[in-house]
Formats: sequence, structure tokens, C-alpha cells
Amino acid sequence: MDDTTPMIPDLDIPGSQSTPAIQSRWQQGRLAMQGDSYPENSYELFDQVIAWVRDYLATERRPLHLALSLVYLNTSSVKAMMDIFDLLEEAHLEGREVSVTWHYDPRNERIAELADEFREDCSYPFAITPSVAPA
Amino acid sequence: MTEHEDAALLRRVEALLADPDHAGHPLHEALAELLARHRSQRHQLERLVSISDRYQQLAMEARQVTQKRYERSLRRQQKLSRISDGYQAMMRERNKALHRASTLDPLTQLANRRLIDERLRQFEVADRPYTLALLDIDHFKRINDRHGHDVGDALLVAIAETLREALRDYDLCGRWGGEEFLLLFAETGLDEAWGIVERLRESVADVGVSDGNRRLSVTLSAGLCERFPGESPAETLQRADQALLRAKRDGRNRSLAQPSP
Repeated sequence: MDDTTPMIPDLDIPGSQSTPAIQSRWQQGRLAMQGDSYPENSYELFDQVIAWVRDYLATERRPLHLALSLVYLNTSSVKAMMDIFDLLEEAHLEGREVSVTWHYDPRNERIAELADEFREDCSYPFAITPSVAPA
Repeated sequence: MTEHEDAALLRRVEALLADPDHAGHPLHEALAELLARHRSQRHQLERLVSISDRYQQLAMEARQVTQKRYERSLRRQQKLSRISDGYQAMMRERNKALHRASTLDPLTQLANRRLIDERLRQFEVADRPYTLALLDIDHFKRINDRHGHDVGDALLVAIAETLREALRDYDLCGRWGGEEFLLLFAETGLDEAWGIVERLRESVADVGVSDGNRRLSVTLSAGLCERFPGESPAETLQRADQALLRAKRDGRNRSLAQPSP
């Protein structure tokens, strides 16, 4: 198989009031999410994201970077993010290059504190930056 | 019998059996058979012990794995709750900020009409007495026209600050309209409120904002009235407004009450 052929198609999910916008770029090894997340069925939404990350890490040897500009997360979204970070940690322990940048609005320091709580068990590079993520 | 004594005895028996002098002795065959059976049983016993040890080892390991898995899942659950609680606290703060924003006048940070209406309704429902004062800045339009809206706004902010400082915690001070303020004196009679309003008008006369080299100050007109039992907020407001109108007509820079104190 070609080195850059995705196992599953890239995600391009437009955001809504209650769901984050999600873009995955297999070629660039990049996954981005922006916005609030309190979907009616968060498993349906995040299962495809988790599947994409799992497939990418299983298929590729290239780095994976997550660019997050998430604001509000409900409990099941928090759980989904923990699952994704766990996948990254596993990959990192196997020697893979993975990283996260969590962008937050400097007017809302709370987001940075919560991102820091997520970071607790991650040994890979996990930056929390006061900025606005490029869309 | 210790392992050591057991081994020594077996060696003695073996030596005796191996001795050609005892060959053909009537006890030889029986003793040889006894020795073989003893060896076999000993072997069985050792196997049994070893199997039992291995089972115990496995059970111990399984318990440790379960324990570890349980601790990990507990830790994860705690992390999940902690972060989730954090997001909820964030939402509550956001709601509070929104509530503040929706009940305060953005320029003066005084209560806006929404909050004033809400408070008046609460007093009506509880049928609590209060005295209302409507305060209007005299000739405010002239200030805006001559010196610009920035100066007018600065004056509004300065007056709002003076009003807020002079009032008691349980009074309400709001921006009722453009240059009009509303004061609600809870559980307060007309005479007492009158005194407070007069002091306020004096303080406001000392308030000024500078426009270049000039210092501008203004006067206030006020209309007061005490709520009658059973009176609706609209009726009380209307009476206060009428008192204010009379104060304006009578030459401004004065307070009038309805009925007069």
C-alpha cells in the first residue's frame, strides 16, 4: 500500500453550536478540533475520530500532531479526549512521534487549567498556548 | 524427620541393599520394594507441592493484575470527574458573567431596566414598602451638544459612581434612561429617603468632569414617592415621574415628593 493512502477517509465535520468542528489530514499527520462539545450522541461523533487516530497510528510511521481549540466539553466528550490522549501515549511509548497543542483564549484561563489536567498522564510534548488556532 | 535425616536413612538402606552379603536375605526383596514405593510417593508429593505453588503464584499474579487494572480505572474515573467538574464550574462562571452582563448597564455598571423591573416585581409580590426616587440630570442634552458624547458619558459614569457610593447595600440604584437614574430605598419611608436624596444632590453638585481647561458640573432634579400598600410598580413609577416633572417645571435643581413630605 502507498505510504500516504488513508485507511479511512479524512474527517471534515463542520461544527455546530453543540459539536466541535473536526478536520483530519492523513497526508499531513494532523488532526484538529475547534469549539464546544456537548453532542447528543458523543460516542457516534468521537468513535470516528478515535477510529481515525487508531488507524493512522497503526498504518503510518510518520508523526501525528493534534491542534485543539476546544472550549466547553461535557463529560462524555472529556472521556473521549482522554481515550484519544491514551492512544497517543501508547504510541509514544512505542517510540512514535506524537504531539498536542491546545490553543485557548487568554481571556479564559480556566481552559488552560483544564487542558493541564488532561496533560497530567501524557509524557509526549503537550503545549498549552494562549492563542487562536489557525482554522 | 528432617530432609537431611531422611536422605541419610535412604542412603543407609541403599547401601544395605547393595551389599552382596545381604543378597537373598528374606527381608531384601520386601525392603527394596518398600524403598521404591517410598521414592515414588515422595516424587508424587513433590509434584503436588510444585503444582500447588504454581497455582498460588498464578492466582497471586492475577490478583495483582486485577488490582492494578482496578486502580488504573479508578484513577481514570477520578480524573474524568475532576475535569468534568472543572468544565461545569466554568459554565457556572460563564452563566454568572452573562447574568451580570444582562442586568447591568454597560456604561455605568448600574442596574439596568431589566434588573430594576425584576426588583420592583419582587417587592410587589412580597408587598414590601419602599420609596422610589427618579433623578434626572438638568440640561444634560446641552452638555452632549456642546461638549460631545464622550464628555456626557464621562459625566454619567462619575455621577453613577457618586450614587453608588452614597447608597446602602440594600438600596438599588439603576440607570432608568439616558440621563435618568432610579433609586429604590427598601423599607424606607419618604422622609428618610428625602434626606438621602438631598444629600446625594449636594454630592453630585460637587462632581465634575473636565473638558479641556473647563470643568463642567451639573445639578439634578428628583421626584420621590412612597409605595402605597397594594400599589403596582407601574403606578408607583408614574407618581415618581409626575413628581420629577413638577420638579423640572418648578425650575430644576430640586426635589419634589408626591405627596409632599
